[in-house]
Amino acid sequence: MNHKIDDIALHGALSANVVGFCRLLRAQRAGVALGEEQDALRALAAIDLSDPEDFRLSLRTVLAKTPAEQKLFDALFDVYWSVWDRAGELGQPQPESSASEEASARRPGKNGLTSVRDWLKQGEPTEEEREAAGYSPIEVHTKRDFKDFNAEELEEIGRLLQAIARALATRFSRRYRPARPPGRLDLRRTLRASLRRGGELLDLSYCRRTRQKPKLVLLCDVSKSMDLYSRFLIQFMYAFQNAYRRIETFVFATSLHHVAPLLRGNDLSAGLDAIAAQVPDWSGGTRIGAALETFLSEHADLVDHQTALLIVSDGWDTGDIEILEESMRALQRRSRCLIWLNPLLGSPDYRPATRGMQAALPYIDLFAPAHNIDSLKALVGYLMTLRGATAAQYLRRRPEPPAPTKAQPAAPTRDDWFRRFGVQP
Amino acid sequence: MSPTAAIQEMLAEHGYVADRQVVMSVYLAQTLERPLLIEGPAGVGKTEVAKVVARALDTELIRLQCYEGLDAHAALYEWNYQRQLLHIKLDEKSQRPLAEREADLFSEDFLLKRPLLQAITQPVPPVLLIDELDRADEEFESFLLEVLSDWQITIPEIGTIRAAARPHVILTSNRTRELSDAVRRRCFYLWIDYPEFDKEVEIVRRKVNGIDIQLAEQICRFMEKIRMQRLEKVPGVAETLDWAKALVALHQHHLDLEVVADTLGIVFKDQRDVAQVKQSLAEFLEGLGVRAKLAPER
Repeated sequence: MNHKIDDIALHGALSANVVGFCRLLRAQRAGVALGEEQDALRALAAIDLSDPEDFRLSLRTVLAKTPAEQKLFDALFDVYWSVWDRAGELGQPQPESSASEEASARRPGKNGLTSVRDWLKQGEPTEEEREAAGYSPIEVHTKRDFKDFNAEELEEIGRLLQAIARALATRFSRRYRPARPPGRLDLRRTLRASLRRGGELLDLSYCRRTRQKPKLVLLCDVSKSMDLYSRFLIQFMYAFQNAYRRIETFVFATSLHHVAPLLRGNDLSAGLDAIAAQVPDWSGGTRIGAALETFLSEHADLVDHQTALLIVSDGWDTGDIEILEESMRALQRRSRCLIWLNPLLGSPDYRPATRGMQAALPYIDLFAPAHNIDSLKALVGYLMTLRGATAAQYLRRRPEPPAPTKAQPAAPTRDDWFRRFGVQP
Repeated sequence: MSPTAAIQEMLAEHGYVADRQVVMSVYLAQTLERPLLIEGPAGVGKTEVAKVVARALDTELIRLQCYEGLDAHAALYEWNYQRQLLHIKLDEKSQRPLAEREADLFSEDFLLKRPLLQAITQPVPPVLLIDELDRADEEFESFLLEVLSDWQITIPEIGTIRAAARPHVILTSNRTRELSDAVRRRCFYLWIDYPEFDKEVEIVRRKVNGIDIQLAEQICRFMEKIRMQRLEKVPGVAETLDWAKALVALHQHHLDLEVVADTLGIVFKDQRDVAQVKQSLAEFLEGLGVRAKLAPER
């Protein structure tokens, strides 16, 4: 009799704790849904509860659905359920709230928004900014690279950008449209046409899949540290806008501006005037994270799973790195592929070691230099080797996250990126 | 014996060395009748899980290989137009009423069952393997989700076909793109990583007949270390097994510089990797305790 009551009490307390644990996971941004709480309870009913390892593994199977979530699960499991162990010793279950409080107290970091405000109050240049300004080798390098473009070069840039757009943006739709042979035999239309001839199959119709043209979104950093490249950037944006219609262009320094309407249809100098009038913080400080966050909250509708996202920036972020990381994660999830073009990558001594770049790197599908025509050529060449139409999908074949027990391989150097391109630096 | 232990034994019997996480997720997916999503690097035996489960349950394995542009028709059913046309021709002179002839035309005889329809019309629940779902596009993913939750398929000419028995569904993904949250939340999840040293030795010994224990350990030590390097294509368990088999065929009892250099092509599938490893091979092998020269005479 007593046994039975114990059982019921234990089960009641257990399910309350499982629900509490799910909430804790949710609070830490694992997307545990309500259905999964039920799954967890059903799973526990199906296993041998006396085995602690079985208990852990079953919850892990049901609740953690990505490698990242599994990591989170592993980190939180002991913290949370050790409370349960102690409850057993005490002879009465601990209320779950105390456990989640305890765990949330361990949560690192602070609210991102407050830090932005802090930053605004500071207003003075940080070490990184000073460092960026004094980055002299690049200066010499780029002044040599960026002479004025002549008409021929501009045309070439246009062609290259078109190729990039094509490689990134074409994909097959699931719909078919009539086509000339060779193609797939379109039986429906063939039969339909045969009726005209009394049912004799004389004319064969063919079809093939339509190509969809998804969008490109270009985000350009025009802050102070990118000054050296701004001439190139403007050409880049302008050429891209004209090479590919379905592109939305933004520039950002401390805030974000939508410049696509200004560039569209205008000639270059008129476009420049319009931008100059609209973008007050050109050559200002950089807050990539904040700019990306604004982009996400105001223009998120521009990015869907068919959108290739190009960010052109040197990665010097003086804002809150957590916001940058969070935004990059969100953008990577939403987009078809995320490409980061970094002009500094063209310099032999460059390592993507700034905090901003480090935070962004894990979410980048392709990290490439873009400081002159040759680097664009290399980029096109690389994209072409990825089977053209599905390049974007192949870019997503990122290296797997290393298991925690194994030694971490060293961060890739610039030469590694070049090796990936198959070009000699 | 606990239910999970039974599964472990079952998998082991059919040649799969499973750790407890694998066993638990297979067990839960079975018991609670949920699809199991398996992710991990290429070549760690994701697909193998489905094959072994099918063998162990003594049921059919129905495989749907995903690719970019896979559509509902290729996954569900198609009418066999050519055969229907032939049938019309043959039936032209028949005196049977039109309705009857038409009913004939859209009977199951003319239906080409593709994997999903095949899977739900089996009397005994098969194992349905949906391989490399990340290669299919998102539209297909949502379509699949619908089938996986309703377990019924509607064919306008025939009607709705309900699953006779729910198949055991196993999905795999190489993470070339993120799967939708809906799919993830619907499935149970298993991440399979490269095996630990001991586990890999065990796999090699089970799968490669007549292999020397010393050779197996050397091979696995080599693989363990080489996977930590930066490579274009990290070799998986499949490569380990191929290599082990090749070395056994060459009557090797231990690794040495010469034979490793000659057989690198089996382990590395990218020219740049082969070149990179070859360059520092002697050093690398020394680090593993393998002598650069041939082993001394006994």
